[in-house]
Amino acid sequence: MDPLVASMKVAASGLEAQSTRIRIVSENLANARSTGDTPGADPFRRKTVTFSAELDRATNASLVEVSKLGVDETDFHTEYDPGNPAADEKGFVKVPNVNMLVEMADMREANRSYEANLQSIKQSRDLISATIDLLRASQ
Amino acid sequence: MQPIQLFELASKQAEWLSVRQSVVAGNIANANTPGFKAKDVTPFQSVLETTGIRMAATQPGHFTETEMASRVIETKPTEEIGVQESGNTVGLAEELMKEGQVKREFELNAGLVKAFHRMMLMTVRR
Repeated sequence: MDPLVASMKVAASGLEAQSTRIRIVSENLANARSTGDTPGADPFRRKTVTFSAELDRATNASLVEVSKLGVDETDFHTEYDPGNPAADEKGFVKVPNVNMLVEMADMREANRSYEANLQSIKQSRDLISATIDLLRASQ
Repeated sequence: MQPIQLFELASKQAEWLSVRQSVVAGNIANANTPGFKAKDVTPFQSVLETTGIRMAATQPGHFTETEMASRVIETKPTEEIGVQESGNTVGLAEELMKEGQVKREFELNAGLVKAFHRMMLMTVRR
Protein backbone atom coordinates (compact mmCIF):
# COMPACT_ATOMS: atom_id res chain seq x y z
CA MET A 1 0.00 0.00 0.00
CA ASP A 2 1.13 3.46 -0.75
CA PRO A 3 2.68 5.06 2.35
CA LEU A 4 0.54 8.19 1.94
CA VAL A 5 -2.65 6.15 1.93
CA ALA A 6 -1.26 4.19 4.87
CA SER A 7 -0.65 7.40 6.79
CA MET A 8 -4.28 8.40 6.27
CA LYS A 9 -5.31 5.02 7.65
CA VAL A 10 -3.08 5.50 10.67
CA ALA A 11 -4.43 9.00 11.34
CA ALA A 12 -7.98 7.68 10.99
CA SER A 13 -7.26 5.07 13.65
CA GLY A 14 -6.01 7.92 15.86
CA LEU A 15 -9.24 9.84 15.30
CA GLU A 16 -11.27 6.81 16.28
CA ALA A 17 -9.23 6.20 19.44
CA GLN A 18 -9.46 9.83 20.53
CA SER A 19 -13.19 9.99 19.91
CA THR A 20 -13.66 6.91 22.08
CA ARG A 21 -11.69 8.74 24.75
CA ILE A 22 -13.90 11.82 24.46
CA ARG A 23 -16.94 9.55 24.72
CA ILE A 24 -15.64 8.06 27.97
CA VAL A 25 -14.86 11.53 29.35
CA SER A 26 -18.41 12.69 28.63
CA GLU A 27 -19.82 9.54 30.23
CA ASN A 28 -17.81 10.35 33.35
CA LEU A 29 -18.88 14.00 33.35
CA ALA A 30 -22.52 13.15 32.78
CA ASN A 31 -22.48 10.68 35.67
CA ALA A 32 -20.45 12.86 38.03
CA ARG A 33 -23.39 12.95 40.47
CA SER A 34 -24.98 9.53 39.81
CA THR A 35 -25.43 8.02 43.24
CA GLY A 36 -27.01 4.67 44.06
CA ASP A 37 -30.70 4.35 44.93
CA THR A 38 -30.65 2.03 47.95
CA PRO A 39 -29.03 2.84 51.33
CA GLY A 40 -25.25 2.40 51.17
CA ALA A 41 -25.28 1.47 47.46
CA ASP A 42 -22.21 2.08 45.30
CA PRO A 43 -22.49 5.06 42.93
CA PHE A 44 -21.17 5.34 39.35
CA ARG A 45 -17.51 4.32 39.08
CA ARG A 46 -15.26 6.44 36.86
CA LYS A 47 -14.30 4.75 33.57
CA THR A 48 -10.82 4.85 32.06
CA VAL A 49 -9.53 4.16 28.56
CA THR A 50 -6.14 2.71 27.57
CA PHE A 51 -4.54 2.83 24.13
CA SER A 52 -2.04 0.45 22.58
CA ALA A 53 0.00 0.53 19.38
CA GLU A 54 -0.82 -2.17 16.87
CA LEU A 55 1.38 -3.02 13.90
CA ASP A 56 -0.61 -3.19 10.69
CA ARG A 57 0.92 -6.05 8.71
CA ALA A 58 -0.28 -4.87 5.31
CA THR A 59 1.28 -1.43 5.56
CA ASN A 60 3.96 -1.92 8.24
CA ALA A 61 2.61 1.14 10.04
CA SER A 62 1.71 1.43 13.71
CA LEU A 63 -2.01 1.99 14.13
CA VAL A 64 -3.51 2.89 17.48
CA GLU A 65 -6.42 1.11 19.06
CA VAL A 66 -8.34 1.18 22.31
CA SER A 67 -6.90 -1.76 24.19
CA LYS A 68 -8.95 -1.66 27.33
CA LEU A 69 -11.93 0.14 28.83
CA GLY A 70 -11.34 -0.13 32.55
CA VAL A 71 -12.69 1.39 35.73
CA ASP A 72 -10.97 3.65 38.23
CA GLU A 73 -10.60 1.64 41.45
CA THR A 74 -9.98 4.61 43.76
CA ASP A 75 -12.30 5.09 46.75
CA PHE A 76 -15.56 6.96 46.46
CA HIS A 77 -16.00 10.32 48.18
CA THR A 78 -18.66 10.62 50.84
CA GLU A 79 -20.99 13.50 51.54
CA TYR A 80 -23.34 14.12 54.43
CA ASP A 81 -26.88 14.16 53.01
CA PRO A 82 -29.36 12.28 55.22
CA GLY A 83 -32.30 12.99 52.91
CA ASN A 84 -30.75 11.13 49.98
CA PRO A 85 -32.20 7.66 49.23
CA ALA A 86 -28.64 6.30 49.03
CA ALA A 87 -27.67 7.62 52.50
CA ASP A 88 -26.45 4.99 54.98
CA GLU A 89 -27.60 4.87 58.65
CA LYS A 90 -25.19 7.71 59.58
CA GLY A 91 -26.50 9.90 56.79
CA PHE A 92 -23.46 9.67 54.47
CA VAL A 93 -23.88 9.21 50.72
CA LYS A 94 -21.19 7.75 48.45
CA VAL A 95 -20.64 9.98 45.41
CA PRO A 96 -18.73 8.92 42.25
CA ASN A 97 -14.92 9.15 42.18
CA VAL A 98 -15.07 11.57 39.25
CA ASN A 99 -12.84 14.64 39.47
CA MET A 100 -14.07 17.40 37.18
CA LEU A 101 -10.60 18.93 36.80
CA VAL A 102 -9.07 15.62 35.74
CA GLU A 103 -11.87 15.03 33.23
CA MET A 104 -11.50 18.53 31.79
CA ALA A 105 -7.74 18.08 31.38
CA ASP A 106 -8.32 14.73 29.75
CA MET A 107 -10.85 16.24 27.37
CA ARG A 108 -8.49 19.04 26.39
CA GLU A 109 -5.70 16.55 25.68
CA ALA A 110 -7.98 14.34 23.62
CA ASN A 111 -9.06 17.44 21.71
CA ARG A 112 -5.47 18.41 20.90
CA SER A 113 -4.60 14.90 19.76
CA TYR A 114 -7.72 14.77 17.62
CA GLU A 115 -6.74 18.03 15.91
CA ALA A 116 -3.20 16.76 15.32
CA ASN A 117 -4.55 13.61 13.64
CA LEU A 118 -6.89 15.71 11.53
CA GLN A 119 -3.88 17.77 10.45
CA SER A 120 -2.12 14.53 9.38
CA ILE A 121 -5.03 13.55 7.18
CA LYS A 122 -5.18 16.99 5.57
CA GLN A 123 -1.47 16.92 4.90
CA SER A 124 -1.52 13.44 3.35
CA ARG A 125 -4.31 14.58 1.08
CA ASP A 126 -2.32 17.66 0.05
CA LEU A 127 0.74 15.54 -0.76
CA ILE A 128 -1.34 13.17 -2.89
CA SER A 129 -2.90 16.05 -4.78
CA ALA A 130 0.53 17.64 -5.31
CA THR A 131 1.55 14.42 -7.05
CA ILE A 132 -1.61 14.27 -9.13
CA ASP A 133 -1.07 17.89 -10.15
CA LEU A 134 2.08 16.76 -11.99
CA LEU A 135 -0.16 15.06 -14.50
CA ARG A 136 -2.24 18.13 -15.24
CA ALA A 137 -1.46 19.80 -18.51
CA SER A 138 0.77 22.76 -17.76
CA GLN A 139 0.53 25.85 -19.88
CA MET B 1 17.35 4.17 -22.84
CA GLN B 2 19.14 5.40 -19.77
CA PRO B 3 16.92 6.75 -17.04
CA ILE B 4 16.86 10.48 -16.72
CA GLN B 5 18.80 11.20 -13.57
CA LEU B 6 16.63 13.90 -12.09
CA PHE B 7 13.38 12.01 -12.40
CA GLU B 8 14.85 8.96 -10.74
CA LEU B 9 16.27 11.02 -7.89
CA ALA B 10 13.02 12.96 -7.51
CA SER B 11 10.88 9.85 -7.32
CA LYS B 12 13.25 8.38 -4.78
CA GLN B 13 12.94 11.47 -2.64
CA ALA B 14 9.17 11.50 -3.03
CA GLU B 15 9.08 7.90 -1.83
CA TRP B 16 11.28 8.75 1.12
CA LEU B 17 9.06 11.71 2.00
CA SER B 18 5.88 9.65 1.84
CA VAL B 19 7.37 6.96 4.08
CA ARG B 20 8.38 9.70 6.49
CA GLN B 21 4.88 11.14 6.39
CA SER B 22 3.40 7.77 7.34
CA VAL B 23 5.90 7.34 10.17
CA VAL B 24 5.09 10.80 11.53
CA ALA B 25 1.36 10.08 11.23
CA GLY B 26 1.96 6.91 13.27
CA ASN B 27 3.73 8.95 15.95
CA ILE B 28 0.88 11.45 16.12
CA ALA B 29 -1.76 8.72 16.29
CA ASN B 30 0.16 7.11 19.16
CA ALA B 31 0.82 10.37 21.01
CA ASN B 32 -1.18 9.06 23.99
CA THR B 33 -0.20 5.38 23.85
CA PRO B 34 1.67 4.23 26.97
CA GLY B 35 5.19 2.97 26.26
CA PHE B 36 5.22 4.03 22.62
CA LYS B 37 8.63 5.13 21.29
CA ALA B 38 8.67 7.85 18.63
CA LYS B 39 10.06 6.74 15.27
CA ASP B 40 11.68 8.46 12.31
CA VAL B 41 13.29 7.56 9.00
CA THR B 42 17.06 7.75 8.43
CA PRO B 43 18.03 10.97 6.58
CA PHE B 44 17.65 10.97 2.81
CA GLN B 45 21.37 11.61 2.40
CA SER B 46 22.29 8.32 4.04
CA VAL B 47 19.58 6.48 2.07
CA LEU B 48 21.28 7.69 -1.11
CA GLU B 49 24.75 6.73 0.05
CA THR B 50 24.02 3.21 1.25
CA THR B 51 22.19 0.54 -0.64
CA GLY B 52 20.71 -1.97 1.74
CA ILE B 53 20.40 -5.69 1.11
CA ARG B 54 16.87 -6.97 1.07
CA MET B 55 15.40 -10.43 1.15
CA ALA B 56 14.05 -11.63 -2.16
CA ALA B 57 10.37 -12.48 -2.42
CA THR B 58 10.13 -15.67 -4.47
CA GLN B 59 6.58 -16.59 -3.55
CA PRO B 60 3.43 -14.50 -3.41
CA GLY B 61 3.04 -15.30 0.29
CA HIS B 62 6.35 -13.67 1.22
CA PHE B 63 6.32 -10.38 3.03
CA THR B 64 8.01 -7.67 1.03
CA GLU B 65 8.71 -4.14 2.03
CA THR B 66 9.95 -1.21 0.06
CA GLU B 67 13.56 -0.20 0.49
CA MET B 68 12.55 2.92 2.41
CA ALA B 69 10.29 1.09 4.83
CA SER B 70 13.28 -0.74 6.26
CA ARG B 71 14.84 2.60 7.19
CA VAL B 72 12.49 3.32 10.07
CA ILE B 73 14.38 3.84 13.32
CA GLU B 74 13.51 4.85 16.84
CA THR B 75 14.42 8.42 17.66
CA LYS B 76 16.22 9.44 20.79
CA PRO B 77 13.99 11.36 23.19
CA THR B 78 14.75 15.07 22.86
CA GLU B 79 15.87 17.22 25.76
CA GLU B 80 12.73 19.26 26.25
CA ILE B 81 10.18 16.49 25.74
CA GLY B 82 12.00 13.58 27.33
CA VAL B 83 10.14 10.46 28.34
CA GLN B 84 6.68 11.01 29.75
CA GLU B 85 5.45 9.19 32.79
CA SER B 86 3.63 6.67 30.62
CA GLY B 87 6.90 5.78 28.83
CA ASN B 88 5.82 7.64 25.69
CA THR B 89 8.45 9.71 23.84
CA VAL B 90 6.27 11.51 21.28
CA GLY B 91 6.30 15.31 21.32
CA LEU B 92 3.23 16.52 19.46
CA ALA B 93 4.72 19.91 18.55
CA GLU B 94 7.84 18.32 17.16
CA GLU B 95 5.86 15.87 15.05
CA LEU B 96 3.72 18.66 13.61
CA MET B 97 6.90 20.54 12.77
CA LYS B 98 8.25 17.47 10.97
CA GLU B 99 5.00 17.28 9.01
CA GLY B 100 5.44 20.86 7.88
CA GLN B 101 8.96 20.03 6.77
CA VAL B 102 7.75 17.00 4.81
CA LYS B 103 5.12 19.10 3.09
CA ARG B 104 7.56 21.83 2.12
CA GLU B 105 10.06 19.36 0.71
CA PHE B 106 7.38 17.42 -1.13
CA GLU B 107 6.06 20.56 -2.79
CA LEU B 108 9.56 21.63 -3.77
CA ASN B 109 10.11 18.17 -5.22
CA ALA B 110 6.87 18.21 -7.21
CA GLY B 111 7.61 21.73 -8.43
CA LEU B 112 11.05 20.72 -9.64
CA VAL B 113 9.70 17.71 -11.49
CA LYS B 114 7.09 19.92 -13.11
CA ALA B 115 9.67 22.49 -14.19
CA PHE B 116 11.98 19.84 -15.57
CA HIS B 117 9.13 18.22 -17.43
CA ARG B 118 8.21 21.55 -18.96
CA MET B 119 11.78 22.07 -20.12
CA MET B 120 11.81 18.68 -21.79
CA LEU B 121 8.52 19.39 -23.53
CA MET B 122 9.93 22.68 -24.76
CA THR B 123 12.69 20.87 -26.63
CA VAL B 124 10.34 18.25 -28.06
CA ARG B 125 7.50 20.45 -29.22
CA ARG B 126 7.56 21.74 -32.83
